[in-house]
Amino acid sequence: MRILYKLATVLVAAGLVTAAFAQDDRLDVAFEGGAVTLDPHARSETTTFAWQHHIFDTLTRRAPDGAILPWVLTDWENVEPTVWRMSVREGMTFHDGTPVTAEDVAYSLTRAATAPESEMKTYVGGVTTATAIDDGTVEVETAQADPALPINLSNIALLPKDAVEANGMQAFLENPIGSGPYTFVDWQQDERLELVAYDDYWGDVPEYREVLLRNIPSGSARVAALLSGEVDIAQKILPQDFARVERDPNAYVTQAASIRTIYLTMDYWRTESPGLPDGIENPFLDPRVRLAVWHAIDNEGIVEAVMGGAATVAEQFPPPAIEFHDPDAERPAYDPERARELLAEAGYEDGFRLILDSPNDRYLNDEFVAEAIAGMLSEVGIDTDVRAQTRTVFFPSLNEGAFTMYMAGWGWTAPYPTLPGFMRTRDMEAGHGTFNRPRYSSDSIDEAFIRGDLAVFDDDERIANARAILDEAIYEDVAYIPLYYENTIAGVRSGIEFESRPDEVMYAFEAKRDD
Amino acid sequence: MTVFVARRVLQGVLSMWVLTSLIFGLIYFVGDPVELLTSESVMTGDEVEALRTSLGLDRPLAAQYGLFYVNLLQGDLGVSYYSGEDAMAAMLERLPATLRLVGLALAIALVAGVPLGIAAGRNPGSLTDYAIRLFSVTGISAPTFFIGILLIFVFSVQWSLLPSTGMGDWRYYVLPALTLSLFRIAFFTRMIRATMMEVLSLDFVRTARSKGLVERVITYKHAFRNALIPFVTIAGLEFAQLLAGAVVTETIFAWPGINRFALTAMYRLDYPVILSYAVIIGLTFVIVNLVVDVIYALIDPRIRY
Repeated sequence: MRILYKLATVLVAAGLVTAAFAQDDRLDVAFEGGAVTLDPHARSETTTFAWQHHIFDTLTRRAPDGAILPWVLTDWENVEPTVWRMSVREGMTFHDGTPVTAEDVAYSLTRAATAPESEMKTYVGGVTTATAIDDGTVEVETAQADPALPINLSNIALLPKDAVEANGMQAFLENPIGSGPYTFVDWQQDERLELVAYDDYWGDVPEYREVLLRNIPSGSARVAALLSGEVDIAQKILPQDFARVERDPNAYVTQAASIRTIYLTMDYWRTESPGLPDGIENPFLDPRVRLAVWHAIDNEGIVEAVMGGAATVAEQFPPPAIEFHDPDAERPAYDPERARELLAEAGYEDGFRLILDSPNDRYLNDEFVAEAIAGMLSEVGIDTDVRAQTRTVFFPSLNEGAFTMYMAGWGWTAPYPTLPGFMRTRDMEAGHGTFNRPRYSSDSIDEAFIRGDLAVFDDDERIANARAILDEAIYEDVAYIPLYYENTIAGVRSGIEFESRPDEVMYAFEAKRDD
Repeated sequence: MTVFVARRVLQGVLSMWVLTSLIFGLIYFVGDPVELLTSESVMTGDEVEALRTSLGLDRPLAAQYGLFYVNLLQGDLGVSYYSGEDAMAAMLERLPATLRLVGLALAIALVAGVPLGIAAGRNPGSLTDYAIRLFSVTGISAPTFFIGILLIFVFSVQWSLLPSTGMGDWRYYVLPALTLSLFRIAFFTRMIRATMMEVLSLDFVRTARSKGLVERVITYKHAFRNALIPFVTIAGLEFAQLLAGAVVTETIFAWPGINRFALTAMYRLDYPVILSYAVIIGLTFVIVNLVVDVIYALIDPRIRY
C-alpha cells in the first residue's frame, strides 16, 4: 500500500512538472476567427495576416505607434519620382536554410502586384516592375509617384522564390516556409495553426518555442479559456467581461486605440433623401445642420456608457497610429444648446424626423451606439429612429445609396487611398471617391488631389497637405463625424508581457516572459 | 415495399430540388457578395467588376440558375469566395467532427432518456415521476448557450477538470456532447413517458396483467416495444435536427464542425459554402426520413404500404 502511495506521489509530481514545463515554453493564442489561407498574398484580411506573419516576414513593418520600421528591407531611397532603390537585409535565411536574396524580394513584390489571385493590389497595384539589380538591392518602378510605397510594403510578405516555383503554390502551401520567427508545423484552415520557433531567425528569437494559434469564435468561450489557463492570450475580450478578468489574479486586460474609426455621415447630395419624411427638403445640405449634429453627440458618454470603455474618443477622422493624425486638432464640443441654436438658425427650430441606419453585427455594440446617438439627436429636436440591420443587408443598401444618415467604420490599413476615397468628388468610372457614399464634394479638395498634394515625397509637407484636406472636409464641411476608435483588446495570463497593437493583429513573437 | 421506397426516393429528389432552388433564390435576391467583400476595402471600380465577372455574378438570373444545376449534379458547388477552396470538399472535411459529436450526444440522450422515461411512465404521479418531470422541464427550457457557458464555467474555469474549447482526445467531447444532449434527454424522457402511459392503459396490457405476467415483462417486453414505434421516427429526426442544430454548441466550444463553418460563411455571404451546407443537411433529412419510414414498416407488422 505504501509503495502504491509513493508511486502515485511520484507520478503526480512528474505529471505536474511536465505540465508546468510545457506551459512555460508554449503559448496558446485565441483569436476571434482564423486564417482562411496561408498564401500570404491571397487575402487582405486582418486575422489571416496576423497568422501568416508568424511564418512570413513582411518587407517593412509598422510599429505600434504607426512608424515604418525596416524589416526585410533595411533602406529605401527614391531615386526618381517613380523609381525606388531598396536594400535587402543581409544574413537572413528561409526556414530551409537558403539565404534571402534580392531575387526573392523582387519575386514576392511582383507576384503581389500582378498575380491574378493576389489581393495585395490594393497596396502595391501601382508597382510596374521589381528587379534585383544585385544580391542585396531591388529596383522598384511605379506607374505614378507613390510616396506611400514603404508603408504599403508592410502588408507584403516575403516568399522564397525557388521553393514556390519548384512545385507551384499549391504544393508549397502543404508545408510553407518563410523567413519569419516561427516555422510551420501543422494547420487547419480557419481553425488552428501550430508553430515552432525558428532558431536562425535574423531578429530576436521568440521567447516561446511552441505556439498554437486558435480560432475561438465565442467571446464568452475565449474568456473562459483564458481564465481556465487553456489559452495564454485571448483576443477581443468583451467589455462586460473586463471586470471578471481584472478580478482574476492570473490574468489582465491590455487595450490600445485601433486604426478603425467609427463615424457618422449624412446625405450630401440629394434634396430628397430616403431616410426623411416625404416632402421635406434634405436639411443636411445646410452645413449648420451638420455641425449641429456634431454638437449634439456626446462622444465621451458613448465611449463610457455604451462601449464600456472599450473604445477611445475620436477627436478626428484618422486614428492616432496614422500619420495624418494631428495631435493638436480639436473637434466641436458636446453642446446641445449650441446644436439647438444652429438648427434654429437653419430654420429647423421644430426639428424634423430622421432614420439613422446602422449595422447590428459588424462593430462592437454598433446597434446600441446608434440607439444612443438617436437619443442624443432627439434631445436637440431631430426626432431619430434607428434602423439596425445585419451587415449582409446593410452594406449593399449603403452602396445603393439607400440611407440619409448612417453609422459605419473604416479600418485605415491603407491610409493613402483612404483620403481620395472618402473626400474626392465621386466618379466611379474614374475610380474617384469610391467610399464617398454621402457624396461630399469640394472643389478645393479635388484640386489638391489633382495637384498631387499627397504624392509629395517630403514627409512633412505631404502630411501637412493631408491635414489641410482633412481640416477642410471634417472641421469646416463636416463631411464625416468621427465618433470613436474601437480599441484592440486582449486578455493575457499573468507572467506574460504582451501589449495590444493598434492594427488589430496579435503576434505571439511579441510575447515576453515577465520575470 | 419496392414501390413504396421508389416513391419516397422520388419525393426526396423533389424536396432537394425545392430546397436548392429556394436557397438559390434567397441568395440571389438577398444581396451581392461582391458589395460585402469590397465594402471595406480599397478596390477600384474596375477591380470590383473583375471580381464580379470572375465569380460569374454578372450573368443573367436564368443562366446562373441553369449553370448552378449543371454544376450541382456534378457535385461541384464552386469554390469558396473567401478561401478559394472547393466548397463541398471543405464542408465534407468538417463533417466527421460534427458527426462524432452529434452521434455521441444522441447516444447519451438515448441511454439516459429512455430509462428515465420508462421509470416515470410506469408510475405516473409518484415521487420518481415528479423528480424526473422536474428535470425534463428544466432541460427543455434551458437555452443551449446558457447550459454550454454554465458547464464551461463550472468544469473548466472553476474546477479545471475539462478543456472548454477545441477538439482533441475524449476529454474535449464531454462538455459539448453534454450540452447538446441535455435537451434531447429531457425531450426523450417526456416522449417515452407519454407513450408508455398511453400503452400501459391499453387493453392488451390489461390482458397481459390478467394472464398473471410479471410487471417487468409487461413493461419491457410488451409495453415498451409498442411505445418504441413512434419513438423511432422522433429519434431519427432528432439526429438530423442535431446535425443541423449544433450551431450554438459548435460556436461556444470552438468545435471545428460544419455548423460553425456554415455560420461563418453566412456572415460572409460565401454562397458556395452555404449551398454545400444546405445540400448536406437537406440530403440528411431526406435520407433519415426514408430510413425511418422503412424501419417503421419493419418493426410494426401492422403497417403495410
